[in-house]
This record gives sequence, structure tokens and C-alpha cells, in this order.
Amino acid sequence: MSFRHIWAITRKEFHHILRDRSTLFLVLITPTALLLLFAYALTVDIQHVPIAVLDYDRSSLSRTFVQQITAGEDIDLYAQVETIGEIEDLLMKGEVKAALILSPNFSNDLLALKGLPLQVIIDGTEPESGVFAVDHIAWRAEEFVNQAVAGQLQAMGVPLDTLQPIDLRIRTWFNPDLKPRNDLIPGLISMVLGMPALSVALTLAHEREHGTLEQLMATPIGRAELLVGKMVPYIIVGLINVVVIPIIAILWFRIPFNGSFILFFVLSAIFLFSILSLGIIVGVFMPTQAAALALSFLVIFFPGFFLTGIFFPIASMPEIMRLEALGLPGTHYAVITRGIFLPGVGLDVLWPYAIMMTGLGFAFTGVAALFFKKKLG
Amino acid sequence: MSAIIETSGLSRLFKQNRAVDNLDLEIQPGELFGLVGPDGAGKTTTLRLLAGLLYVTEGSASVAGFDLRTQPESIKPQIGYMAQEFSLYAKLSVLENLRFFAELYNVSKTEQKERTERLLTFAGLTEFKERRAVHLSGGMQKKLALACTLIHQPPILLLDEPTTGVDPVSRREFWNILTELHLEGTTIIVSTPYMDEADRCSRVGLMYAGKLMVCDTPQNIRHQIEGELIEIFPDNWQAAHQIVSTIPGVLEVQTYGEALHLLVEDGENQLPKIETALKQEGIHINGARLAPKRMEEAFISLIRRIESEAEEIADE
Repeated sequence: MSFRHIWAITRKEFHHILRDRSTLFLVLITPTALLLLFAYALTVDIQHVPIAVLDYDRSSLSRTFVQQITAGEDIDLYAQVETIGEIEDLLMKGEVKAALILSPNFSNDLLALKGLPLQVIIDGTEPESGVFAVDHIAWRAEEFVNQAVAGQLQAMGVPLDTLQPIDLRIRTWFNPDLKPRNDLIPGLISMVLGMPALSVALTLAHEREHGTLEQLMATPIGRAELLVGKMVPYIIVGLINVVVIPIIAILWFRIPFNGSFILFFVLSAIFLFSILSLGIIVGVFMPTQAAALALSFLVIFFPGFFLTGIFFPIASMPEIMRLEALGLPGTHYAVITRGIFLPGVGLDVLWPYAIMMTGLGFAFTGVAALFFKKKLG
Repeated sequence: MSAIIETSGLSRLFKQNRAVDNLDLEIQPGELFGLVGPDGAGKTTTLRLLAGLLYVTEGSASVAGFDLRTQPESIKPQIGYMAQEFSLYAKLSVLENLRFFAELYNVSKTEQKERTERLLTFAGLTEFKERRAVHLSGGMQKKLALACTLIHQPPILLLDEPTTGVDPVSRREFWNILTELHLEGTTIIVSTPYMDEADRCSRVGLMYAGKLMVCDTPQNIRHQIEGELIEIFPDNWQAAHQIVSTIPGVLEVQTYGEALHLLVEDGENQLPKIETALKQEGIHINGARLAPKRMEEAFISLIRRIESEAEEIADE
């Protein structure tokens, strides 16, 4: 390996990236654009679900209950109705996603500590909002019952401070607001930072199409020198995004970054090396840019999306898919980005993933150098 | 002196097609060897094989003393290869392209500086050195490509149709450069579709259907074809073509635009006879003369002969 040859290729490739607007756009802007696109398209932060309320009880307790439920950002009281027919009408029109019906025995049963007679009807054609409304109502109802029980006990003369009320709280660690964004965006970051792999696959095919590869093959340059020299500039440009993208995540999406940035940077560099090696393999085998792009989508983009566990848990995949997932650098990097962003774990936890990425990188580069021949045919 | 390039039974198959078929070639150091032949004859494949860019199917070859099959990487520093299509980096400037190839060939910094200046002057590109290759004219691109193949001062140059698509002035300039390199002792193999260029080579190989049909000096090739050349400029060349073809002693008729070139057994005697025959048929002649045979006529005549022989074999 001659560093002089590698540097010659690297410098040439830098000129190409900086002087070709489409390449520059692809490597610099695409990751940010994709992050914004997917983050907004895929985030399911449900808020302001409109509901209708049919209150048969019409007591002060039932009114208080409805008030408590609809306070806050989650559920909006769209209409107070008188009949079931009205509910059906509103649901059919899609003006409400759920309806809450309070039985005539609402306050009686509550005060008798017989439970809370409620009915919730949801629009099954849009279950996300409906289920959200049910969960929200159930949670509020539990609170309400607890308060009522406490009130009753007080009325019976039991001093409250001697009691330990059962307090069941479900705590979600690392992502206490249970905001899908907090989990989704670090996963998305692992995918969008791999985008330079597409460019590196294209650049080799570009040289093949334009005859410059033929000229290179006639020179004494080593095969590995050429491949490594081509990867280096994309790793460097990719590292710019390794800095920019977390800043966007932190400042724009308000994602907590609890781990070490230096660790994130170093592991990201390893990830870039391994994913770019995969891109190089694509470039080695594909004769044209169009073919390289198509294959990149098949082996880099789509698997990066669906197989790396960003959206679908790897544990629930069939075994063969799990194996394929293990062979993708993105799978390990997704664990790393999520680990460093939210729980803020360190190398003591992440080292196996770092080793896997490094191993994959060398394996991919090795395969590429093995199959890349300085022959036209 | 031993040959600097030597091939023996060299063949390359693309599926069933023998692009280069049993090629035996011996090129001495310092030769300016022209490779001619119709499109698809195997010229490009031959040059790519010699540059180590294609796998050899059969036979063997040595270039600069190294075996083509087993030591292709040792051959590469010894050759300068110029592909038919423009194959430099369009987005790099003239200087950047030169520097890039200098680095790949391990040319030292001090030598780079000196050679770059000399090559730029040589190729007449000094005032365009900052210009990106994509913005150069076709002729300048070819000269830059040549300069890039010369940056490591290779003893062997393999040039694949370096002047195709280049204007006549640039073509002449390019050949003046090649002649200078030839005089300096560089071994050059150049393929060309232009017969006037073949005439400037020290030796010419004529390829047809992957085979080397003729390999000799331009002078000997010109004399290989029978007869003497008569050039006539008739008013109606189509009619004239039909008439002269039937005259006994006319061996071959070739058209060049509106002129006819006839190969005849005895020029001095035949010329007046042909003129009379045409006048009798009412065809006016604007001029007729005995002319020296060129590579062009020789080439066409040879190809015709080869093609008719091939047809005969096919008929049998």
C-alpha cells in the first residue's frame, strides 16, 4: 500500500465532490433532508384527539370527571351530546375519533365504591387515535377513582396520613415522555448518516462509465489503494454530518444527548468505514451508475430502513432476517446511536457493536479488493 | 536486438467471437508501428491486451520483457496507454490531471515540475494549464491525454486511435509530437483509421477479423498491390464507374468522392484508352493522370481481396 497513491486518489475524489454539485448535494444535504422528512412523516405524537361526551348522569362528579379528562393537550371535548345517534353521526363524519358515555349510575357507583361505569366507543378505522383516547381515559379514570376512594375514607373518619394508598405507577425509563421521537430519531440518524455509501457506489460506476477506470487500470495503482483512496473523502465528508445531524436532533427535535460526543464521533467514523465498504462492493460489481444505484437501494437503503431494527424489532424477525441484520453495519450502529443519545451508555456497553462494525468493514473491503480486478474483462 | 513486444498465438475470445485471433507480432525497440484495419478488426482489443487490461484467452505475449499473463503489474510502469475515448478527469484542470498521473507513476516532485513544464510546451497547452479538461477542445484533450501518458517517460506507448475526431490541424500537430517521440527512441504502437497516418509509420500491421493479414513497411505494402494508379475526374462518376469496370486491363476501381481511382496493368498505355472509351460514351472528363499509389488504395485493395477470399471460403 502506497500512501502516495491513496492520497492522489483521495485528493482527486475531493475535487470531484466539491466541483460536482449533485455529488456535493448527495453527500452533504441528503442526510439532513432525509432526517427531517422521515422524522416528520413517521413521528406519531398523537395530541388533541376530538371526542364526544354523552353524560347520562349529569351530576357535579360526572362534570368534574369530563373536565379532568379533557384538560391538557391530549384530548379535546368536541361536543357534548344527548343521544347515541348523535355519537354515531359524529363518528361517521370523522369529526370525533372516540366517544365517552357516562352511565346514569356514574356518581352513585363511584361513591358506593363499585367502580366506574363508563363506555368508550372508538373509530376503528383510525385505531391509533382511538386507542390513545381509551388509554388516556382509563388512566384518568383510575386517578379519579383513587381520589374518590380517598374522599370516602376521609368521610368515614379514617385519617388519610396513616394509610399507604396503593400507588401503581408505570415508569418508562430513558424516554419518560414516551415520545416516539426520542427513540425514532437516534435510529433514523443511524440510517441517514450512511447515505455517503450511495455516493461511493456511484463514483466507481461513474469512472467505469466514463472510461477513467480503464485509464486507472493501465497505471501501476494497487487495487486496495484505489478502493481505500476512494473511501477516505466520503468518510471525511460523512464526518461533517456526524457533527451536524446530532446538532439538528438536539436543537430542533429536542432529543436528549446523554452520552459522550467523542465516543459517538469515533464510533460513527467506524460505521462510515463499514457502510462505505458495502458501497464499494456495490461499485465493484455494478457496470453502470443506474445499476449501482438500484443495487444500493436493495442492499444499503432499504435494509438500512427495515432490517436494522429502527422500526421493527430484530428479535421478532425470522431467523434468516436476523442473520442478515447482523451483517448490516446499520444494525449495530442503530444500537450505538440509541445508546449514546438516550441512556448515554459508554464503550463498556457498546464495545461488541463497535467490534462487529469494524469486522464487517474489513470483511467488506476485503471482498471488494478481492473481486475488483484491474481488467476490463 | 530483441523484440520489446512479442506475441505468439495471442487470442482473445468474447463469447464465441475471436476478437483477436492467433496474433503473432514482433515489435523492435524504437519502432513506430501502425495498426490499421476496418472497425471491429480487433485493433482496440489488441492494444488493451498489450496494456494488460484484458484477460488473455490463448497464446502468450511479453511486453518490455515481462510476461503479459503473469506479470501485468510489472508491465504497467513501462507503458503509456491512451484509450480511444477521452478518459481523463473532466473536472480536473490540465495541471491537476498531469499531477494525478505523475503521482500514480511515482514521479518525484522535482521531476514532476520539470516534466510538466516540458510536456505542456510540447503539447502547446501551457496557456491552458488551469483550464478544466472538460472545457478543452477535442484536439487539446487528446494532447493532454498524450501528455498524461508521457509523464513517467515510458519506453512503450500504446495509442488507440488518438486522432479520431480531431481537426486536421490538431491531427498534424499530434503526429509531429509522435514523430519527435519516435526520434527520441520511444516504441510506439498506434492504431488509426487514417491511411495518411499509416504512411508515417515505420511499419504497418493490417488487421481483419481479429487476424494480422499483412505486416510490413508502408512502402512494401503499397507495392504489394498490383498495377499502377490512374486518377480520373469524370462528370458523371456513376456512369463512368460502370464503363471503366468493363475495360480489359483495369484491375480495380475505387471511388473517392467524385473521382475514380483505377488500378491498371499498364498505366501509360491504358490512360489514353480509358479517356477515349469514356468520351465515346459521352462522358466529359475534367482531368485524368497517373498518380503514385498511396496506403489508401493499397488498404482498400487488400481489404477487398481478403473479403472476397473470405466469401469464397464461406461458399465452399
